[in-house]
Amino acid sequence: MSGTLTIQQAGHSVVTDLGRFKGPRYGLPVNGALDQFSARAANILAGNLDNDPLLEVTALDFRMRADSDLLIAVTGAPLPLTVGGRECPQWEPVSVLAGETVALRGMNTGLRAYIAVHGALDAPMLLGSCAPDTIVGFGLKLAEGTVLGARKIVPPIRQPYFDLPLFRLGLTRPGTSASPVIDVTDGPDIAEFGDTADLLFNTSYTVSGRSNHIGLRLGGALPERQSTAEVLSRGVPVGAIEVPSREELLVLHRGRGVTAGYPVLGVVTSRSLDVLAQARPGHTIRFRKTTVAEATARHRAAMRELEALRTSVNTVFGLLGVGAPASWRELLPASGT
Amino acid sequence: MTAAIPIEVHESGDAALRVVATSPDRERNWAAVHALAAWLETADVDGVHGAVPTYDSVLVEFDPYVTSARQIRAFVLLGMRQLDYVGTPARTPRQFDVPVVYGGTYGPDLQKVADHEGLSVAEIIALHTAKSYVIRCLGAPAGSPMMDGPDFPLPVPRLKDPRLSVPAGAVSVAGRQAVIAPASAPGGWCVIGQTPLTVLNPDKQPLAPYMPGDLLRFHELPADEFDRFAGLELEASA
Repeated sequence: MSGTLTIQQAGHSVVTDLGRFKGPRYGLPVNGALDQFSARAANILAGNLDNDPLLEVTALDFRMRADSDLLIAVTGAPLPLTVGGRECPQWEPVSVLAGETVALRGMNTGLRAYIAVHGALDAPMLLGSCAPDTIVGFGLKLAEGTVLGARKIVPPIRQPYFDLPLFRLGLTRPGTSASPVIDVTDGPDIAEFGDTADLLFNTSYTVSGRSNHIGLRLGGALPERQSTAEVLSRGVPVGAIEVPSREELLVLHRGRGVTAGYPVLGVVTSRSLDVLAQARPGHTIRFRKTTVAEATARHRAAMRELEALRTSVNTVFGLLGVGAPASWRELLPASGT
Repeated sequence: MTAAIPIEVHESGDAALRVVATSPDRERNWAAVHALAAWLETADVDGVHGAVPTYDSVLVEFDPYVTSARQIRAFVLLGMRQLDYVGTPARTPRQFDVPVVYGGTYGPDLQKVADHEGLSVAEIIALHTAKSYVIRCLGAPAGSPMMDGPDFPLPVPRLKDPRLSVPAGAVSVAGRQAVIAPASAPGGWCVIGQTPLTVLNPDKQPLAPYMPGDLLRFHELPADEFDRFAGLELEASA
């Protein structure tokens, strides 16, 4: 049985997933959830696959109404989350009754929140992904009144002890800071910047309001390219740090054009890209030099944490009789049981 | 079997590697990085998302939870040895013909490019339409066909202030490269004309009709014929 939800206030929200990994081969950016850890966590908490379609809510207030009973999980930026007017915890599965409104309002720490709906949302796919591509003009457009299909209905999970939270799954929530430290490995073209490359690590940078999913623009002391030779267009990784103009540093994020002719000074680590996804305009960033080996170790530690979360969620859902994510069985209506 | 192509493998963060072919022969470098990208795709290596081959380099993207830069580097070296042994498969290129309205609102930078090159506008158009270009790779934005540029005397500088929006169909040059923008996007290249053809169709598979290695030639179109071609899709003519 499938359900629906209706967008009441879209704000700046999209239906997305982890990204279009087959895209870059064809000149399309990977796109997808900018804070990958939070998106994965939301889906795991909702009993979904990591890559299932979910909602990414950026900066602005968002409301949706459940037209059928749903199970959701909200992660990412910390904010007041209400369901049917009740305040509910983030980073935990939450039952939503048909007719209730889910509201995310007043986001002022962090920039992006994720709402996963158990059973995942229906969305059109391009090259195996529902992630919007603003350049090609692909993706579901959300507005007031948009109805989204959820593939499953989950009757309310009965909570025997009033006032106790339903779940305590013990995930370490990523911290959010107005002055985060961002890990960077040396870029393939760092030599082109000579001694000025060190500026990157000795200066703080301010996030510009012109930042978006394509890249963050940062103001501060800029390393300078020492040569002026024409650079042939090359594939650039997500996280590439470039100095395309005399005004700003550019850190490319998941919406980046796959090729460019600017030298790559450094590359932000996968873990720190999640942190940058939550950086708000005006926040101050410092960069810290790291190695690929160290960055890989940190990424793997975070992924193992998500694996542990998946195990806990499976256990808890199993005990509650909601069913294991691998083969969800629909609950009978709670009344009369 | 031909002589091995020398390559360099550069770290590019924890989820990508840049492989650069460094032989003195540009054609062989280009063929090698595209063959390597195709090999990686066929090999379906665990944890490899894909490869972005361009002119002399290929960016290999991977999932650092499943594999590592070190392992991918080993795969790349293995792939290059195998390609040296079997050679690169040749594909018969297709030909694409693209009508372009030059100058005016269609190509706002045409005069600037002519001034920079010390040529007349007519000479710039003549050089741009003089021959077929090899599509070297699919790049940004949106799978643009990136080609070697026309035989201008000088490389064309990029704009000092990139435009916030360049329309779909814009025909641009920069450095020694030429390109068509399949979709509206910001751009820092000099726009010398515009084609009325639709280059990219997100409802089709593949999205773009061309592949690296295909040939593309520009033809001058009078401005009053732009609308006659508008909405037609770019298709191979041979």
